Amino acid sequence: MTKSSEESPSRRTFMMVVIGLISAVIGVALAIPILGEVLSPLFKKRDIVWSKLGKVNDLANITPLTPKFIPVYFRVKEGWTVNTLPRQVMVVKDITGKFYFFSNQCTHLGCPLHWIPARQKFMCPCHGGMFNVLGKVVGGPPPRPLYVWVHKIENGTVLIQNKFVDNPKERGV
Amino acid sequence: MLKKIQNWFDERIGLTELINEFNGERIPRRGGWAYTFGSLLAFLFTVQVTTGIFLLFYYVPYFPMARNATYYIKHHVFLGNILLGIHLWAAFTMIFFLLVHMSRVYFSGAYKKPRELQWIVGMVLFSVVVVLGLTGYMLIGNENSWWTINVLTNVASHTPIIGGFLRIVVRGGTETSVLTMQHIFAVHVWLLPIVVILFIPIHLFLIRKTGHQGMALEYKNSKLPDDDINKWKHPDATVPFFPDQFYKDMIISLAVFAVVYILAVVYGAAIGPMYRPLALNFAPEADWYFLANEELLKYFPGHGLIIFSTFLVPTIGFAILFALPFIDRGHERSPFKRPAATVLGILFLLLLVYLTLIGGEPKAPATV
Ligand code: HEM
Ligand code: FES
Repeated sequence: MTKSSEESPSRRTFMMVVIGLISAVIGVALAIPILGEVLSPLFKKRDIVWSKLGKVNDLANITPLTPKFIPVYFRVKEGWTVNTLPRQVMVVKDITGKFYFFSNQCTHLGCPLHWIPARQKFMCPCHGGMFNVLGKVVGGPPPRPLYVWVHKIENGTVLIQNKFVDNPKERGV
Repeated sequence: MLKKIQNWFDERIGLTELINEFNGERIPRRGGWAYTFGSLLAFLFTVQVTTGIFLLFYYVPYFPMARNATYYIKHHVFLGNILLGIHLWAAFTMIFFLLVHMSRVYFSGAYKKPRELQWIVGMVLFSVVVVLGLTGYMLIGNENSWWTINVLTNVASHTPIIGGFLRIVVRGGTETSVLTMQHIFAVHVWLLPIVVILFIPIHLFLIRKTGHQGMALEYKNSKLPDDDINKWKHPDATVPFFPDQFYKDMIISLAVFAVVYILAVVYGAAIGPMYRPLALNFAPEADWYFLANEELLKYFPGHGLIIFSTFLVPTIGFAILFALPFIDRGHERSPFKRPAATVLGILFLLLLVYLTLIGGEPKAPATV
C-alpha cells in the first residue's frame, strides 16, 4: 500500500506536482486552439479590389473647391461571405485642375464627415473635427489630414481601391 | 406532509441547517435601506438574463439583418416590445444603480481593510456590466450600432503596441464585417454574462467572510479605536438577512422593477434606422452612460496627444478606481472624518454629471 500524504511529506509534494502538471497540460492544450481561433484574423490578408468611380470627362466639369460625393461599391470577401461595401468618395478639384479622392471618414475615430457649404469645411458630427476642402485639419482632435483613396485612371475611367494612400496602420476603410 | 419532505432531505443532506446558515447572515441594523442596492443589482441581472435568453428566440447576429430581427421582435412578436423594453431599461437602470451602489460603498469607506477584495471584485463586475451595455447597443444593428463599433474599435487601436492587433482581433479583420457582429454577439451573450455569473457569488462569498460593514453609524457604541480591524467587524446591532434585510431588498426591487416596466411599456426600445453606409448627414450618438467618455475624446487635438483621450486618461482613471483600497489606506469610515475623500468623491460625481450633460453636443472648436 502506498503512503498517504499525511504519512509522507515527500509523497504529498509529489502528488501536488502531479496535480499541478496535469492542470497545466490541460490548460495549455485548450488554450492553444482557442488562441489560434481568436487571433486567426491577424493572419488573414484583406481582400483588395478595384472599383469603377466614373469617367474622367464627367469629373472635369465639377465646380472647383466644392466636393462632390460619389459612391463606390467594393465587392469583397469578408469572413465566409462576399459583401458589397458601399463607400463615399469625396472628389475635389483644386484651382489648378488637380483631383483629390478623399474618404468621408474622419481621421480621428472614423465618423462620417458632413460638408458644410456655409463654412466651406468638412465637419465631423462626433467630436468636432474640421477639415478644409483640400483635406487639411483646421480644428478639433483629428491627428492627420483626410484619407485619400488609392486610385488610378485607365482608359478615361477612374478606378478606386478599398485602401487609403499613406496609411501604414490600415486605419479606417 | 411538508414536514415529512423536509425530514427526508434533512436526514440526508441537512437541508434546513443549510438554508438557515444561508439566510441567517447578520446585517447591520441601522442602515438597512442603504444596503439594498447590491441585491437590487443581483435582481436586475437576473432580469437581464431571463429577458435576454428569450430575445434569442428571434434575434440573428448578422449585420443588416440584426436590425430587422430587432424590429420584428418589437413590432411583430406578441408583447415583444415589452420584453425588449425591459431588457433595455433594466440595462440602463443597472448601470445607474451600479453608480449608486459604488457611491454608497465609497462614502461609507466599506472598501477598506479587510474588505479590499470586495471592491476589486466589484470593479470587475462594473467593467463587465458597462461592456455588456456597449455590446448590447452594437447588437441592435442600426446606424448607431455600426458607428459605435467603428469608433470604439478605432479607440482600441490607439492602445500602445497591441492596439492595431486588438482592433483586427475584435473586428475579425481590418473592416467591420459579419465576423465583427458574430464576435460581439458571442461576447455579449456568453462570455461576459458568464463572468458576471461567476463574480457575483465571489462578491457575496467575500462579504460573508468579512461580515457586512455598512456605514459608520453602525459603530457608534464601539469602544475600539478606528484603526482596530475588529471594530469594523462588529456593528452595534444586527438583524438576520432573512427576512429583515431581504424584505427591504424586495420592496426596493419591486419599486425599481415597476419603473422599468412602465418605461418599457410607455417608451419601449428605440430601434432606429437601418445602417446606411452612404448617408451624408448622419450624426452618430453614444448611449447616455458613455457620453462622459465621448466628451473626453473631443479634447487633446493632434497627433501626439490622441493617446491621452483614447488610452491614458481613461486607463489611469480606471486604474486609480480599481486600486482605491490600496491608495486610500486611512482607517476612518465616517464621511465627515475623512473630508478629502468625501470632497473628491462628490467632485468626481459632479464632473461625471457635467461631462455627461455636455457630452451629447458636438464641440465646435474656436479655430473656425
Ligand atoms: C453586478 C454588480 C454588483 C452586485 C450584484 C453587487 C452585490 C452586492 C451585495 C448584494 C452587497 C451587500 C449588500 C449591499 O451593501 O448592498 C454588496 C456589497 C458590496 N459591494 Fe457590491 N455588487 C455589485 C457591484 C459592485 C461594485 C461595482 C462595487 C465597487 C466597485 C462593489 C463593492 C461592494 C463592496 C465594497 C461591498 C461591501 C459593503 C459593506 O460591507 O458595507 N459592488 N454588493
Ligand atoms: S471621429 Fe471625427 S472628430 Fe472624432
